[in-house]
Amino acid sequence: MLDLFRWLLGQLDTANGQERSKDTARQRLSVVLIQDRLDLPAEKMDLMKQEIWEVVSRYLVVDDEFLEFEIRRLDELVVLVSNIQVKDTTELAPAH
Amino acid sequence: MTGRTIVITSGKGGVGKTTATANIGSALAMRGNKVVVIDTDIGLRNLDVIMGLENRIVYDLVNVLEGKCEPHKAMIRDKHGYELYLIPAAQTRDKDCINPEQLRELCAKLETEFDYVLMDCPAGIEQGFKNAVGAATEAILVTTPEVSAIRDADRVIGLLEASELHRPRLIINRIHPDMVKQGNMMDKDDIVELLAVDVLGLVPADDRTITAANRGVPVVHDKKAPSGAAFLRIAARVDGEEVQFAELDRKAGMVGKIKELLGLDRRAYSHA
Repeated sequence: MLDLFRWLLGQLDTANGQERSKDTARQRLSVVLIQDRLDLPAEKMDLMKQEIWEVVSRYLVVDDEFLEFEIRRLDELVVLVSNIQVKDTTELAPAH
Repeated sequence: MTGRTIVITSGKGGVGKTTATANIGSALAMRGNKVVVIDTDIGLRNLDVIMGLENRIVYDLVNVLEGKCEPHKAMIRDKHGYELYLIPAAQTRDKDCINPEQLRELCAKLETEFDYVLMDCPAGIEQGFKNAVGAATEAILVTTPEVSAIRDADRVIGLLEASELHRPRLIINRIHPDMVKQGNMMDKDDIVELLAVDVLGLVPADDRTITAANRGVPVVHDKKAPSGAAFLRIAARVDGEEVQFAELDRKAGMVGKIKELLGLDRRAYSHA
């Protein structure tokens, strides 16, 4: 029943009830293109994310559930956009 | 006259660069432009067979660049009576026998005489690619809606930037509207989001492209071919005309889905 509902919403492959293959393609490509653009393997990327998060969390109370990294191409520049959600601006981070 | 020199490139092979070059060149000529198309894929020439001119070759690009003959002697006029000429690639030489400077010099000469100089670029990102890209002042990128072609296209965008060819415009070739509709093929928006480039045109997968290639007559001459119509629109956009994108019918919506369930779906697609 749930699958029928999702199919009606266009989220499922009509033929076999799997995730639409184009979503898998898009997701895989978005990761691989970042790695290609930066010449940075996945594990190093994860390590960098982790370290950036650690630095920011030393100063701000941040939501560890909400951490986004995106590599965008802006004409001849490649830019890293990081989106970190600050949980509570009134609450101070642990002393530093 | 100051013509425009455009390279048609892709990175990945087999996505339709040569077909795109032949068709855009033909369509630009049909619009009244004076056009020369150059096959820069030395050692693997193909533009001549796609245009049906393979039996008329006497001189080739390498002969011209080596100064063995004037550019005009190597030019073969297209069969359809338009101002369209082909400079074929050499078949028995390799890509290292020419360099970007020689090719740029030739293009600069041709720009004084033609509205458009189109270069069909070899696949890959090695010397042949560097030759064609180094001689161009604009780039058109061809891809298909597949992971491998898109990944290579992204790599090529980076290399074009490095070569001062900013904002290449993208052709998405061989789109299967029924697969897009089922969510089993990436659509224009998905690809634009990934590659962050402007789209020049969308070309549906079309058996008539294959029959046209068999006959050596570019598919823009086939009035019934959806792919030919797409290339005519692409050429109009290259020529500076604003042509609306007809959206591919990708989401049927709730009512459409129910119709599909009940077998009432008429499966009418439009192509951009």
